[in-house]
Amino acid sequence: MGKEECKTMLDALNKVTACYRHLVIALGSTSDSQNLREELKRTRKKAQELAVANRTKLTSLLKDKSISKDDRAEYERLWVLFSSSMELLEVDMKRSLEIGQDFPLKVPTRHLIQTGMTGGTTAVAARAMSVQNMKYEADSNIDTADLRDLQSEISQVSHMMEEMELKVQVAPWAVEAKQEAGAELKSNMSVGNSSVGVISICEEEPKEEEGGEVLVIFGAKDRLPVLTALCAPPAGKDMEVVQ
Amino acid sequence: MTIRTARPDRVEHFRPHMHCLKKLEALVVEMQDPKTGVKGSEQKLNVTTIPHVITGKDIVAWITNKMKTTAEEANVVGTMLVAYGYIYPLQNHKKLVMCNDSSLYRFQTPYFWPSQKWVADDSDYAIYLAKRNIRKKGLLEPYEQVHYNHLHKWLNHKWDFIVMQATEQYRAGRERKKPDRVVFDCQERAYWILNRPPRRTHSALDCGPDRLIDPNASEKESFDLYRRMNIFYQQAIMRSKVKSSVSLGALVKYVTTYKTHDPFLAPCLPSNPWQTDSDAYWTLNMRSVDLPTKMRVERWSFSLFELLTDLRGRDDFKIFLKKEFSGENLAFWEAAEELKWGTASSMKSKAETIFKTFLAPNAPRWINIDGRTMGLTVKGLEHPHRYVLDAAQTHVLLLMKKDTFFRYLKSPVYKDIQKKALNPEPHSFSPGIHPIILWKQEEEEKAKAAAASAPVDVKTRRSAAAENRPRHFIIKLKMRKI
Repeated sequence: MGKEECKTMLDALNKVTACYRHLVIALGSTSDSQNLREELKRTRKKAQELAVANRTKLTSLLKDKSISKDDRAEYERLWVLFSSSMELLEVDMKRSLEIGQDFPLKVPTRHLIQTGMTGGTTAVAARAMSVQNMKYEADSNIDTADLRDLQSEISQVSHMMEEMELKVQVAPWAVEAKQEAGAELKSNMSVGNSSVGVISICEEEPKEEEGGEVLVIFGAKDRLPVLTALCAPPAGKDMEVVQ
Repeated sequence: MTIRTARPDRVEHFRPHMHCLKKLEALVVEMQDPKTGVKGSEQKLNVTTIPHVITGKDIVAWITNKMKTTAEEANVVGTMLVAYGYIYPLQNHKKLVMCNDSSLYRFQTPYFWPSQKWVADDSDYAIYLAKRNIRKKGLLEPYEQVHYNHLHKWLNHKWDFIVMQATEQYRAGRERKKPDRVVFDCQERAYWILNRPPRRTHSALDCGPDRLIDPNASEKESFDLYRRMNIFYQQAIMRSKVKSSVSLGALVKYVTTYKTHDPFLAPCLPSNPWQTDSDAYWTLNMRSVDLPTKMRVERWSFSLFELLTDLRGRDDFKIFLKKEFSGENLAFWEAAEELKWGTASSMKSKAETIFKTFLAPNAPRWINIDGRTMGLTVKGLEHPHRYVLDAAQTHVLLLMKKDTFFRYLKSPVYKDIQKKALNPEPHSFSPGIHPIILWKQEEEEKAKAAAASAPVDVKTRRSAAAENRPRHFIIKLKMRKI
């Protein structure tokens, strides 16, 4: 059915947008490199393809006057998802243009900001492109050449968004969300063993907080009633596993 | 029509220029130079090592060297770098200052640098809070929880997107290596502490309300623009200009006259009520006090304006004028003020009484103003409005200022009150305990009382838990204190 297709495409767009954001955050820092620029370019292109596909699908669904009210509400919700993704993508593209211009790679005195990030972003890009391994085949002047493409792509995206706003009459504020507060906790429970991640970051935090966090994990039994108010029972079960 | 088309670019919020940002960015980039920049070292956490960690004293030393200033100035510049978010502290992440010691800092990635163009969006913050919720398994800090609930309510239409995006970003983040993940979390946290400061902290990025007009955009050249520019410059030429020597002299005179009376610069006698909680100062300076303080009486001699605005002084002035049988000027001035500030309905009757009392040919309290002003005023009183007596009032005020005021200052009335005025002794309270410390002590006592009154059970497990409880409670308190 149209809805399922839409949802999968939107999920894909969502994934690519998230990965693109991770890549843009690494721009200008010590994990910036030739490869990163190429990854950015390819992720961007993929995002645009997905965006166009999504748009055509959704506009055709919304233009159909013969759909039921519930269906229409559902499509409007998907539309809001789509336009929010696009907004995020547009902002990230503009920012990557700015930062890319400020931090060119092929200059004799290259001052990339020593942020502490030294690893590559290959895995993130691979996730975005849905491939196992990334192959890099770009020229050495990708950082300047790409910026021109980027500018034209940004204007394309802005144009597309303006068109969308004018053609599709969807009131974004009228959409009701299906997820309630704390929903992200439920969806993430399958991505279990994140407790290791929690404790290692504790060390970066000042002593009191560290003490507080450790105590809280041990004292989870006390906090169970509070947690169940926030999220569903499965979360509580997981807390016991951590202990 | 949707919101977006009404405001063409939702991203640019047209905030006022923050000119310092470009300069700070240049400074930060220079710090990265491998040869002449700041030397970084490595930070060892449990099993991971993260490079590019710099100590506060290295930064301050580098800035002192580079800008050729003193260490204090360099420290201030360093604090500015931290306060604006170019560098973030690793140890006390909520306190954005630069400490000139071995405390550790790291540079922030350019995406998270402050900028005039890119404002920290609410939906981004919601995504960050959702991610943090996942990471901390539902235990956000109280202020974060408040923001989360607020955003859940107001961004409800986007909430599905926020949840989806947060989970995706979280999963994408896990694709990176461990040290990078830690760094990324620190970076994001530092960014949001700056842009959504916790309660009772101040953010350096506070720049007032957003504008709807882009200050960066230049106005389109047109006939109207140049016409307006011409008018502006013509008026500017015609304005009378005061020489800076004259205006500065006036400023110096004002400062030297008033500096002993300023409660910020000179101690307030008997004591500043906001500091010592003793309201003796206010009771001594009330409206209808018999004997004013010496400072107050001295203040009356500064100008007629001071004398008239202080109602106690005005009373004294009236006593003097009564002795001189020239009270009509002041009475007229007061009546004119009443007319100016009074209600519209009472204006007609007030104007009539004023005319009868002060301005009519054989009035009981006839004021002596020049013929032209008198003529204008009388004519205006046929159709009275709020400012009809303005000209006459100004004239009368000038008379008082140039003549009566100086006679008052030399008069026995004033000299008498000067002698009789009170000079209160300054209070010398011993410095008390700071109220926050008192509150903390109270809370600790309450906690101890709660622990003491908790039931003591035979089962060891229960008693162990009861022992844990007060410690947990107190440490929770310490967390909240930050």
